[in-house]
Amino acid sequence: MNNIWGSMEQYDPVVWNWIIAVYLFMAGLSAGSMLVAIGLKWYRQSRGLPTEGLPVIKAAAVIGPVAICLGMALLVLDLTKPFEFYHILLNYNLTSVMAWGVIALLVYIPLVFVFAALVFEKQVLHYAPWLAGVLKVCGLLEGSLNKLIFALALGVGVYTGFLLSAMISYPILNTAVLPALFLASAMSAGSAGNILVATLFFSKKESDCIEQVHRIEYPVAFNEALCLVLLFVGLNFSGPAAQAATAAITTGTWASVFWIGVVGLGLVVPVLASTFAPKAWRHTKGFLITVSCSTILGVLALRHFVVYAGQSYIS
Amino acid sequence: MTKRYVLVHDENKCIGCQACNVACRSENNVPESVTRLQVRIEGPYGNFPHLHFKYNRVSCEQCENAPCVKVCPTGAAYVNDDGIVSVNENKCVGCLYCVAACPYKVRFINPETRVPDKCDFCKDSRLARGEQPACVSVCPTQALTFGDANDMTSEVRRVLDTKPNYQQKVNLGTEPRVYRIPSRRGGIKA
Repeated sequence: MNNIWGSMEQYDPVVWNWIIAVYLFMAGLSAGSMLVAIGLKWYRQSRGLPTEGLPVIKAAAVIGPVAICLGMALLVLDLTKPFEFYHILLNYNLTSVMAWGVIALLVYIPLVFVFAALVFEKQVLHYAPWLAGVLKVCGLLEGSLNKLIFALALGVGVYTGFLLSAMISYPILNTAVLPALFLASAMSAGSAGNILVATLFFSKKESDCIEQVHRIEYPVAFNEALCLVLLFVGLNFSGPAAQAATAAITTGTWASVFWIGVVGLGLVVPVLASTFAPKAWRHTKGFLITVSCSTILGVLALRHFVVYAGQSYIS
Repeated sequence: MTKRYVLVHDENKCIGCQACNVACRSENNVPESVTRLQVRIEGPYGNFPHLHFKYNRVSCEQCENAPCVKVCPTGAAYVNDDGIVSVNENKCVGCLYCVAACPYKVRFINPETRVPDKCDFCKDSRLARGEQPACVSVCPTQALTFGDANDMTSEVRRVLDTKPNYQQKVNLGTEPRVYRIPSRRGGIKA
């Protein structure tokens, strides 16, 4: 039937698009890689093992700043008024999750660069010897800085979830599980990203710390799977609109993205690969690269699924 | 006593003619591709011969507990002293958070200003001059009643106190200021 009241185009419930999904992925990747690297550092320090020059930590020092900066660039370009983005740095409405995100990122981003500069201290001093004094001070504060970065990375991972769950009319998004799901999947993307970059650019024979990162992959994958189950079982018990939204994983394109991308690539492939692959394969470059790419694609698919399927069902 | 502007849409009197839609567009210079106000004709519902259509006014609900205002990072979406949900164009960066968060999906990006736009009860033009909003004054069947619900002598207060009415999506706790009088079933007797 033709409507007589005008265009319906502006009423599309899907307002935020893939750019937001990629930003949410990038922020999670950055936060996850820092959490894993700093966690690994603490683990090794507690056992009296050396932490200098570990490929995984070097990888995090690259991924941490690069991913968050690319994400921020996407976010700014997606604004309808990109050249006036500075207003968001001047005005803060503290009931808005986005304003809290801005505050966290304003501290997190510079500190991630400090982290990277300390990891690549020699190279930085080679190109910018005038930074020697600053880096020395930062080096003395490294222990506290790492604690602060760890806390802020947790904040960044969780805030990306609350950003979506604050929208009360989308049943899939408006749940408390979402921030936990985003944090868990940020950890998987972060550990996979660290392994990928470490294997490609920094690894020589020190595969032992890659093994230690591998060890957290099972609990992280378990948490991610648990959050997904809780999300959809919870929806089923939250009234008719929420119940209708569970169709997101049974019908339509986004159901395929969910089962093939999120569950298949993100959870099944990595878990099966690390469980059943012959020992001879496990430390080969090809194996590490394939499995970590699979995990990363899975998390990217999850962010797209949550953004698109989440907004497609409105109560 | 502070003002509490509300709008009542009587779905019995409404005939779906879109005069309100056109008057709004003309009064507020709304670009052609977008709209602040539509009356959607939905149905028919019921069983023959007792069929009825629903006339669904779609415009900003002026929520007292507005989700768009809560999520706005800069405070560009705010509630004015008169209770009207308003947009400060200068503070807005265009993140679309308010557009996404609105449960009624009545916010849109104005293609000319690149800022969210929506019904504001004609507050800067007609209301400022002491006149009724454009949609209310143009309605040929007087299906719309507008006024200060805190004024016990106002017409809108009398309508709300004497006729059955409902608001949309009350379960979300948004407390919309647009009230609707549901249409009677089985035809209207004069």
